[in-house]
Amino acid sequence: MNWTQLGGSLAAVLVLVWIARLLKLGESRIADAEIARRMAEEALSGFVARAALVSTNGAAALVLGTDGIALLKRHGAKVAARRLSRPLWRRPSPEGVTIETGERMFGPVLLYGVLPEDVDRLEAQLTMM
Amino acid sequence: MTLADPVTLAIPAFVLLVLAEMIVARIKDRTRYEPRDTLTSLMLGTGSTVAGILSGGAVFALATWVWQFRLFDIGYAWYWFVLAFVVDDFAYYLFHRSAHRVRWFWASHVIHHSSQHYNLSTALRQTWTGFFSLAFLFRLPLFLIGFPPAMIFFVAGLNLIYQFWIHTEVIGRMPRWFEAVMNTPSHHRVHHATNPRYLDSNYAGVFIVWDKWLGTFEPERDDDKPRYGIVKNLGSFNIVWAATHEWVGIAKDVWRAPGWKARVNYMIRPPGWSHDGSRDTSETIKARWEAARHEGGQAWKKPISSSSDADPAGAQSPAV
Repeated sequence: MNWTQLGGSLAAVLVLVWIARLLKLGESRIADAEIARRMAEEALSGFVARAALVSTNGAAALVLGTDGIALLKRHGAKVAARRLSRPLWRRPSPEGVTIETGERMFGPVLLYGVLPEDVDRLEAQLTMM
Repeated sequence: MTLADPVTLAIPAFVLLVLAEMIVARIKDRTRYEPRDTLTSLMLGTGSTVAGILSGGAVFALATWVWQFRLFDIGYAWYWFVLAFVVDDFAYYLFHRSAHRVRWFWASHVIHHSSQHYNLSTALRQTWTGFFSLAFLFRLPLFLIGFPPAMIFFVAGLNLIYQFWIHTEVIGRMPRWFEAVMNTPSHHRVHHATNPRYLDSNYAGVFIVWDKWLGTFEPERDDDKPRYGIVKNLGSFNIVWAATHEWVGIAKDVWRAPGWKARVNYMIRPPGWSHDGSRDTSETIKARWEAARHEGGQAWKKPISSSSDADPAGAQSPAV
């Protein structure tokens, strides 16, 4: 491979990504709580989901399991998950509640449109079990 | 003898086929592609090519040095190319199996599995750290046998090109005879899947027969649709992180490990191994899934049971 071929490859990469955007590929959302529960169980070995809070924009969800809490975030057209330990590390914001994962590259996750009280209620259910 | 680099020649075809698959995705299922994921995959592919050029001279020199101790003199007749292709594919199987079972090799190979999508751009998501991981060791026996380095690198390029087209969901199943002998999109979807049933299977490059002979074959099931990626998905499109995250993980674990035995094990034991057993390996995930499946099966047999609507095949069964 020479410099021309390398330049051509980079140009081709950018054109393909531009076309992917143009075609509106990759659009998706976490549709509802039932889907969020299923996604958490599929993503985390041994996780048994009981209830879920889904952000109103479908970009994230908090799922209560029998022995822990899972956080889902939309990652492109798919979903990435993390198992969180209690107490949840969160901060309220005008848009909803932001959950910290403690992982810099995974990042904090905004539960858009979710109230802090709803998160409290979900977390409290874990204590009661 | 100088042979062309088939992978470089194939790049225009790769680009056109990715484009064609995107158009199919637009019509059938828009979630098959995601622009940022595609950018990450293609930039990792481009970086891998550059890394290959940087390390290629050293690898070729080592191969040529080993070749001088060869057992047989093998020429450039066409049938030697055919034999070299088959033997190299077996060497690839051994490398690939090790790349999933030894964390040091996995740290390099995981890049290829780090996308949660499965499309032709995923095929191009290749390692930057293959040389550092010593992956080239697996081909050295071929030079000792007597296959000329130029021939082996040529057929290895053809092997890589073959593996491009099997990274797709567009093709369901190939004809039965083809599925029996060759690696196909169906077999390779299983390899990229994180479903417990599918973990650590179908390591083949071109010929699926290696998996069938060595007990690592798993067929794709319509009732257990593959979910792609890795057990702990990155949740990031950062290119450098995708290329290096497992190396960072190894470094952290080795640094914190209690003693030298644990330090070595963090490098050579399967991904997920930990000195205190606190993490999941593919074995623990499979065992947990099997246990849940068994419990589901027992419940299924009971005449009165709230679990009687559980999936007897275990496809979606929650564990424990």
